[in-house]
Amino acid sequence: MSGERRPPRPLPRPGAYMDTAPFWAGAREGKLLLQFCRRTGRAQFFPRPASLATGRRDIEWREVAGRGVVYSFTNTFNAWPGHEDRVPYLCALVELDEGVRILANLLNVRAEDVRIGMKVKLCWERLTEEFRYPAFEPA
Amino acid sequence: MRKGYDIAVIGYGETRIALRGGRSSYELAAEVLEQILEQTGIDKSEIDGLAIGETMSETSNPFWGVYMCEMLGLTPSWMQVNGIGGASGIGAIARAASAIRDGVCEMVLVLLADAQSSSRPTEQGAYRHEFMYPVGLRGPVGAFGLLSQRYRHQYGLNERALARLAVTQRRHALMNPNACEKLRVPLTEEEYLASKIVSEPLRILDSVMVCDGANGVLVTSTDKAKKLGARKMVHPVGYGEITNFRGTDMLPDVTVSGFSVAGPKALAQAAMTPRDIRMIHPYDDFLIALLMTFEDIGFCAKGAGAQFVLDTDLSWRGTLPLNTSGGQISAGQAGLAGGGTNLVEAVRQMFGEAGERQVADPRNAMVTGIGVIPYGRNWGVSNVLILAQP
Repeated sequence: MSGERRPPRPLPRPGAYMDTAPFWAGAREGKLLLQFCRRTGRAQFFPRPASLATGRRDIEWREVAGRGVVYSFTNTFNAWPGHEDRVPYLCALVELDEGVRILANLLNVRAEDVRIGMKVKLCWERLTEEFRYPAFEPA
Repeated sequence: MRKGYDIAVIGYGETRIALRGGRSSYELAAEVLEQILEQTGIDKSEIDGLAIGETMSETSNPFWGVYMCEMLGLTPSWMQVNGIGGASGIGAIARAASAIRDGVCEMVLVLLADAQSSSRPTEQGAYRHEFMYPVGLRGPVGAFGLLSQRYRHQYGLNERALARLAVTQRRHALMNPNACEKLRVPLTEEEYLASKIVSEPLRILDSVMVCDGANGVLVTSTDKAKKLGARKMVHPVGYGEITNFRGTDMLPDVTVSGFSVAGPKALAQAAMTPRDIRMIHPYDDFLIALLMTFEDIGFCAKGAGAQFVLDTDLSWRGTLPLNTSGGQISAGQAGLAGGGTNLVEAVRQMFGEAGERQVADPRNAMVTGIGVIPYGRNWGVSNVLILAQP
């Protein structure tokens, strides 16, 4: 639309609240990395500075398969700033096999075809040269 | 909070709720203080405590509470700032009660003021820049879209019940001169059902409209209230609160809120059951939150909230009057002061000062608070307060 300035889609700001470098390094290679608590083996997402299970900092990053099911979803008609061009778009909570939920877009599927419990797999959306961002599509 | 009648709320104040009203949080707060002083006849120098809520408009100032004291000429011996979102109002009453019982102060002004719709909101930061904003979930509207979809999957989503809630609260707002002018127009169930889908299955009329406004109450010991000759008083007799409910569980049921903990705790302290509650003033950022509130506090079984709404007369003349000033959804959300809107209405009703919407038997009231939208789970803070008169 000419003459109307819109904010661009927000890009990730790595390291804004903690060291998330392993996540973004993995993303560049098409690998989804989660944190795992070394003492309990539990996964957690979003990344945190300590294990939610124990309160200790001995956590490690591991690549996961990127398979799961749709826990919930919403078809978005009122965009978050910077996403106006994408309306309508699907946001979902995807429950991964490793026992965490991740907020992500659902791609390559029509809203009317999405079902809770539907199997999905990881795919990557290229936001810029620097950033690939995790999303999910029907498995 | 201990069970009993040793603490008293002796006054209240509230500005009109305005969309982009242009007055600052400080100006709004001054109006509330003036109302409370006029109403109670208490001298300002008697106020030696301030419990103030965080804001969207002034929170970039880390000294907001102290600045407020400077603005209003308060010199408290106890001051604290509450950052639990829409739970901050009734949370402040519980904290004030503790401080008064501990002898730290004797008379606390609970104050909430926010000019959110007139100011640029503050940034919550943290993980949002990496793990939320690039996805585009539309803030609280998007989060409640996800909650609603899951709720619909587990229990069904009866839109007629939501429409009933919308219309009931709107009728109440029509009788509330402090309600936002833009919202003081009649609404039918058909108009609710036809309103625009913003984050499916959520409609625009499921949600609050962000405005500006301020409110507050004055809290002291019952002994001091009597000594000062307080004309009216109500007592906090039960309270429960929880922050980051199920916060270590990566796979919580998002349809269950912290009210399942805070509600039973408040009721037990007050030695009441839901059947004893005379009227309810629940935090209403989204209509579906009301269903979860009824269910999790125990007014009905999980998933039966819609049927409870359809079976219960929730009007101001009904068996369980609900948000008789219109709630935030129909009076407007006074930013982060919104948690005080329904609180002040409960006190106003119990004082018998609610005018044409006065409830016939306002001997007690339940007020709730909801605060903060977290990542991928139910809301972050839930609290429940029960007010009663002897």
